[in-house]
Amino acid sequence: MSKYKIYLLGAIAAVIILAVVPVITQREGTLTWFILTLLFIALAQSWNIIGGFAGQINLGHAALFGFGALVARIILPMGVPFVVAMLGGALAAVVLALIIGLPVFRLKGIYFVIGTLVLAEIMRNVFGNMFPNAFTLPMPMIAKYSMVNRYYVFLVVAIIATLACYLIRYSKLGLALMALREEEDAAKTSGVNVARCKLIALVFSAFLAGLAGGAFVYYAVGIHADYIFSPLWTFNSVVIVFVGGLGSIIGPIIGAAFFVLLQEFFILFIPGGFHLIIFGLIFILIVIFLPGGLIQFADGIGNKIRMKYAAK
Amino acid sequence: MLEIKNIDVYHGDIQAIWDLEVTVQDGEIVALVGANGAGKTTIVETIAGLLKPAEGSIIWDSVCINKLPANKLVDFGISLVPEDKSLFADMSVLENLEMGAFRSASRKQKEKSLEYVYELFPVLKDRAHQRVGTLSGGEQQMVCMGRSLMSKPNLMLLDEPSLGLSPLMVKIIYQALKQANKLGMSILLVEQNVRLALETSNRAYIIENGRCINCGNSSTLLDDEHIKEAYLGKI
Amino acid sequence: MLNLLVQSSINGISIGTLYGLVAVGLSLIFGVMKVLNVAYGEFVVLGGYISFWLLTFFHIDPFLSIPLVAILLFIVGSILYKTILANVSSMQEDLRLKNSLLITFGLSLMTPQIFTAVWTADVRSITPAYSGTSLAIFDYRIGFIPLLSIITCLIIVFALQLFLNKTYFGKSVVATSQSWKGARIVGINVDRTYLITFGIGLAIAGIAGVMIGLIQSLTPVVGMHWTLKALIVVVLAGMGNLWGALIAGIILGIAEAVGVIYMGQYASVIGLVFFLLILMFRPQGLFGKS
Repeated sequence: MSKYKIYLLGAIAAVIILAVVPVITQREGTLTWFILTLLFIALAQSWNIIGGFAGQINLGHAALFGFGALVARIILPMGVPFVVAMLGGALAAVVLALIIGLPVFRLKGIYFVIGTLVLAEIMRNVFGNMFPNAFTLPMPMIAKYSMVNRYYVFLVVAIIATLACYLIRYSKLGLALMALREEEDAAKTSGVNVARCKLIALVFSAFLAGLAGGAFVYYAVGIHADYIFSPLWTFNSVVIVFVGGLGSIIGPIIGAAFFVLLQEFFILFIPGGFHLIIFGLIFILIVIFLPGGLIQFADGIGNKIRMKYAAK
Repeated sequence: MLEIKNIDVYHGDIQAIWDLEVTVQDGEIVALVGANGAGKTTIVETIAGLLKPAEGSIIWDSVCINKLPANKLVDFGISLVPEDKSLFADMSVLENLEMGAFRSASRKQKEKSLEYVYELFPVLKDRAHQRVGTLSGGEQQMVCMGRSLMSKPNLMLLDEPSLGLSPLMVKIIYQALKQANKLGMSILLVEQNVRLALETSNRAYIIENGRCINCGNSSTLLDDEHIKEAYLGKI
Repeated sequence: MLNLLVQSSINGISIGTLYGLVAVGLSLIFGVMKVLNVAYGEFVVLGGYISFWLLTFFHIDPFLSIPLVAILLFIVGSILYKTILANVSSMQEDLRLKNSLLITFGLSLMTPQIFTAVWTADVRSITPAYSGTSLAIFDYRIGFIPLLSIITCLIIVFALQLFLNKTYFGKSVVATSQSWKGARIVGINVDRTYLITFGIGLAIAGIAGVMIGLIQSLTPVVGMHWTLKALIVVVLAGMGNLWGALIAGIILGIAEAVGVIYMGQYASVIGLVFFLLILMFRPQGLFGKS
């Protein structure tokens, strides 16, 4: 069977299994773990488009997530179905990215990195001050709160994000992005419209991040503006993508699962945010020794196994 | 004396130099000639310690130097004048030259060395306090050579000194080269201008695709048919 | 009203020189090594905490503790360089930037937790006996500590300038920042130069931290705030200009201090907006070269 068919079957199987999970267990803890993993898959995949495919280290991702969440939360009490609110958030994130993000996106190298970081901080500052109070979900929603519904929402969002990444990766756009990731000037002279490609990538990235933000609002009973714009959302996405495997499709999925698993594990033994020390360390070690992430690690083992069989 | 013995040099995974053997006797001018991309720059940068050979060894005055870090080679009397000049663009001519005498051995003789460089390249004295980034290509090349001379090298490696220079500048540079050589400095010269290289040097190696395909006395090579056809333009 | 403006400006100058100092340290590291240390602010905080301990346990005056803090942070910087940044010196520029960015980013995830573990999440201030005293200049008052802080910052920047321009090692640092290859050709040990530059950069961070602990306060999570301030000022000033960084920092400090009068808590947005404007319209900074 061709590699492609294996992957396809694997993906379908995974989706089916995931779809069935809430039928098997309704335990809140387990569902929460899954939901967080799916959330991070979506968020990481959205970052992957810019950071992995296009190679632009965007440290302002939290702004897109946060803005999507904010707008979704503002629209929600107007009585619209939450799906509309989520989409509203996604679109709002796109608008934000286009208006404010675009000039920053034209920057290169260190200036781009700093620019996105600072931009996200501005957002956090401004919105944190504009909305100092926490938002809670409207009462009727809290009354009808169902984990299972949330689970499926996140499943769909994660699937959309992964699918989008897959389609982009293997499209002409993906090729262009990877070209400009390697060598922007060379890509330009090869006819790639670098500015337009970055723009399209940004739109996708923003949409998915905003969508994830909207979903998060639906899930979290109470949110704080300061929290949804927190740089931790960016950090976590970056760490997940790197640990999983930059630029790959499966990487963020593995990374997210690993990340949430580790987080739950550590929280059992290590109080507070101390698991971040371990994450930071793992992250640094991966950047230095295993820049391809866990995928590279898995590939390496796969190669060793293959070589063993070939020798026989 | 410089002896390069059977070196292989890689750029990442790609092999650039195959099994190269080159010698430079004391006081000689040896040329490495060949077309663009043949590997000549790789060779001199390997000698200068910026690259390391995967196989083989480089011996200078009976000391094996190929494992040494680049910055140590100045102490052994080897100095590189690179193709891209690598000057300190925001520093003045004088400051660049002074940096050439950075290692303490040559620091004490700084004044004398400076005098010598100004003798060879009088225009540098006029521009002593000008920022090197604002100089012309030829003047920059002079600064680069001057900086190298400040470290009182026994072997100077020059990578394409004539590249991009006007004929007058080339003349000045090469005159300075010959003068320095007369005082005992050995020279390994990389040049795309084959005629100029062969006319200036005692011996030469022809490099093609990372391999030495011919070597010998420069005047003999000038008359060689293949050389004439490939590099000098048969009439 | 004028009174308020002038008094605010005076306060702004003292915090502004600190902005300038951290910018100097950060741009030293970036200018020479092309390494972006996103965890820079963490070391500012570390320096402050160390001085806090020295005062609390050994009763060492904060300003006198500065040399000790500088040395300790230099050592920390050297160790960090050797362990996680060493291979960076052989990389090409853009790869170097990306990798150093990510590695120090990972560091910045860890340090707030480490700080919380050691110093707890309580807000700490360094309060020697003379805190709160002030001098009168005409109708205005300037705190004794802020005044000392301004003088210290000026001395440090001056000393750094002397070091870079007059000493051989300093000149090798400058040369390395201008041509990595050229430096090696003239015999400079680039790896060691990087090590020492990084150490000096962190030492400067620590020194700034002492004064921040005196004038403001320290919490385990405020590191990123200072990194951002340093980045903003560096971009505002342009690379490669020590005094420019100091001046830009003072401008930012005054702008924020005055901004608080009109904009209240949104004043910090001023700096961020300045920053974006400069990036878009004058990317070489106020004092940088085109």
